[in-house]
This record gives sequence, structure tokens and C-alpha cells, in this order.
Amino acid sequence: MADGVGSNQLFEQWRKQFEEGAQAWSRLITQTAPASPSPTQDPTAFWRPVLDQGVQTWAKLFAQTPATPELLTQWKQFLDQWIDAWSKVLGQAMGTEQFAKLMGQSLDQMLVTAAPAKKVVDQQIEQALQALNLPSRSQLTGIAKQLVELEDRIDRLEDSMNAKLRRLAEREPK
Amino acid sequence: MAQERFTSGFAAEAPAETIKQWQEELERGFRRLRNLHGLVTNPVEPKTGQTPRVEIYKRNKSRLYRYESARSHRTPVLFVPNLGISRPYIFDLMPGGSFIEHMTRRGFDFYLLDWGVFGPEDNDLSVEECVTKILPRMARRVLETSGTDELSVLGYCMGAPISASFVASHPDVRVKNFVNMAGPFDFAKVGLFGLWLGKDNFNVDRFVDTLGSVPADMVKAGFKLLKPTMDLSTNLNLWWNLWNDKYLEGFQALNKWANEYVAFPGEFFRQWVRDFYQDNKLYRDELVMGGRPIRLERITCPVFVVGAKEDYIAPPECVRALLDKVGSREKEYIELPGGHISLIAGRGAAVHCWPKVSAWLGARS
Repeated sequence: MADGVGSNQLFEQWRKQFEEGAQAWSRLITQTAPASPSPTQDPTAFWRPVLDQGVQTWAKLFAQTPATPELLTQWKQFLDQWIDAWSKVLGQAMGTEQFAKLMGQSLDQMLVTAAPAKKVVDQQIEQALQALNLPSRSQLTGIAKQLVELEDRIDRLEDSMNAKLRRLAEREPK
Repeated sequence: MAQERFTSGFAAEAPAETIKQWQEELERGFRRLRNLHGLVTNPVEPKTGQTPRVEIYKRNKSRLYRYESARSHRTPVLFVPNLGISRPYIFDLMPGGSFIEHMTRRGFDFYLLDWGVFGPEDNDLSVEECVTKILPRMARRVLETSGTDELSVLGYCMGAPISASFVASHPDVRVKNFVNMAGPFDFAKVGLFGLWLGKDNFNVDRFVDTLGSVPADMVKAGFKLLKPTMDLSTNLNLWWNLWNDKYLEGFQALNKWANEYVAFPGEFFRQWVRDFYQDNKLYRDELVMGGRPIRLERITCPVFVVGAKEDYIAPPECVRALLDKVGSREKEYIELPGGHISLIAGRGAAVHCWPKVSAWLGARS
């Protein structure tokens, strides 16, 4: 019996730690999104049921004698719920307008920085290949595009020939 | 203390049944280690796409395949999956776990449009070209090969709005049935991607003008971001089921597919994001392609829509929206358990989705 009380205390300590972690997460979200018009969502809402269930399950399992492999199944379920809760928390954070804006701005900045560098590198590679008398990527791409156009023309010719043949066949007296 | 009670309880008081259970668990543990060793030291390339097929037509990177079947339905089925993102062998993953195999066994003359893997030379390919040039040719080839004058069109994911645009704008091609599987139509309800790709948050012109296309790694990053815990739960489930050889076989095939991303051609991506995600033109009846206005109300054949309850790529409400727009008298919507992929691939799909789709089509083919 005393063991059960001891393990319960241990789990209570765990729970306290987790809840403090959740509060820190909540504070972080509030700091990064001060202009949010909607009330700040409480991520601990996702964690609490999972933690409560986990703690209860483990307390029960530790109090149970003898232990069976069911213990591992319970552990797996706990991890699944844990991952699911995290997924919901992250989904909620990423589903905000602030996150979308931040991501868009970062991507834009990356593109603005990358564009001139890419242009310079492309030009230099093109010049180097020309000096070596080798075809560049843009030249090969150009040939591939011409092939696609040719293929398209052949298809169109085939289509019109087929249409004419069908019309001729329809006109033929039976 | 707890440790002492645990061991003493196990050794002295455990019933025979508990000991047996632990022995089984230990055996599973050994099998896990053996399979893990095999995975790391001798990875086997899983065989996918094994249903026999013939290439009917090719245009640039796109291919049209016809699958062997003991044809018992007159109307052929043209299956139009997503362009870019991933390879279509997910629909024919492995024997016993293949949507295509299911359809051919049900007697459908089944055709798959494989859009192909794109390179920089395809950056000019647009959604418009797919709708006005590629799809009409593919549909005509299906009719010619099958010897019929009408076909059923089955669109999956973005293949659904693309093929619906084709059906709505090409009355000369007779479509007997249209099936939408997890294809988004009302992009105002499309979830996280809709938010991230919104006009205020994403400059699609700068993106395409700078990069030329959407590289496969970037497509991968976008999808990973959509569900960041996915890899964690996949690996946890792998460890949990690693003892099971059958699970491992399925996992390897699925994992191969899940890690093979396909780039988007630049112009396709520009038009897809601008016209569909940002302006929602198809749903608002504002889309014009090849000079033809695309009006979904012109789809008058029977329509079947399948949504997945936990689909975060195309949430059920944006999939179901097709029914509000088509001019069909006969239209039906079902919502099945699972996500965007598990709707059409895997054990759940074989139980919930495939039989419903084949039964609906079978009754009208």
C-alpha cells in the first residue's frame, strides 16, 4: 500500500512538471502573438486529459501485481495520446494568421536574398559551360521544350487526320 | 521498494498465464531486433505496382496505362490522380493492398493517368494545358482503346478539380459518371494549406519567378510541416509492430512511396495557387480555360463524392462542396473514416472505401 502512495507522489511530481511546461508554452504563444484579436487558446486543455489518464493508468499498473505485458500496451497508448496532443497543440499554433504571416515573410525574405545570388551563379555557370564548349541547362531545356512542341504538333495532326477519316467513313455509302 | 515488489511478485506469485504472456512479449522483442537488423543492414527494395498493365499513350512525361481485367462492365474508368507531390503507385501498392487491383477484379476496364515526374523543361506546363490539352487526348484514347463512346472519370485529390474542369468544359467527350475522392472544390474551406497559401501570406509570383518550379524537397517540407508529429508516430508504430513481418512488408512499400516526392512545374503551381487556393475561381464560376468558361453546373452525369473524416489536406467540407455546384440530378456524398491517404490506400481503404466506389460505379457502368 505504501508503495502505491509513493508512486502516486512520484506521478504527482511529474504532472506538476508537465503543467509548468504547459504554462511556459502558453506564455510563449502569448508573447509571440500579442496582436491576436481572438483570446489566447490554452494549450494545457489538450495536455490535461492525456496527463490525467496517463498518470491514472500508470498508478494502477504499478499498484497491480503481477505486472503483465499489458503494461507495454498501456505505455504505447499513452505515447500515442501524447503525440496526438502535441499534434493538436502544434496544429493550433500553425493554424493562426500570425504563424502564416511569419512563415510567408520568412519565405519572402529567403527568396529576396536568394534571387540575386541564384542569378549570378546561373550566369557564371552558363559562361563557364560556354567557354568549355558544353551545352548549358537552359540549352538542353530549350531542346526538350522543342521536342514537346513537336510531339504536340504530331498529336494535333493525328487528331485532325482521325477526324477526317471518321467523316469520310460516315459519308461512304453502305 | 517498488522494484522489489515487482520482481518478487513476478517470480513468486505470477500465474502461468502471465509468464506465458511475458514469454510471447520476449519473443516479439527478439523478432523486432531481428527485423530491425534486417532493415538497417539489408534493406530490401519493396516491389510496388505489380498489377499487369500496358502503356496506351504518352505525351511528354504523362502516360496512360490500361490494366488487365476480365471486363464485365462496359464503361471504362479513367482514373486521374494528383499531379506532382507523389507517385501514383500508391494506388497499386502491393498485391492484396491495391485499389487498382480491386477495380480490375471487379471487372472494370481501368485506365490510370500518370502525370509523370517533371524537370525544368516542364516549367511552362500549366493547369490549363492539363485541362484543355492532356486530359481530352487521354479521354479520347480511353474511348478508342475500350471501343466505347462514354467513360467514367474518377478524380483523386487535385486530380478531382482538374478532371471536373475538363468534364465541365468538354461536352464532346461523353462522361457517364464522375467520382470525386478527397478532391477539394471550395478552397475557402481547405484548412491549413489554404491559410498558408493565402494572398496575404504567400507571394506565389515571387516564388515561381525565383525558383522556376517547386522542388521536390520543398514539397516534402510543406507536407511535413502540415503534420510535424507524423514521423514520430510512424516510427513509434513501426517499432511497436516491427515483430510482424506482414506489417513490415506493407510499411516498407508505403515508406518508399511516402519518401518519394515529385516537384511541381512552376506555371502549374502558379495557376493552381492563384486560381484555386487564392481566388477560388472554380467554385465561384470564374475560371476560364482555353477560352472556355468552366461551370461545374454543366456536369450533369451521376456524381459520387467521397470525403475522409480526418483529412487535413482536403477537409470533408471542401470536398463535399462539389455537390452544391454540379447540375446532376443523381448525386451522393459519403464520409469515411481515415485521412487523405488512408482513404484510398491501406487496410482501412480496402474495407471502407474501395467496395463502396466499385459498387457505386458498377451499378452505373
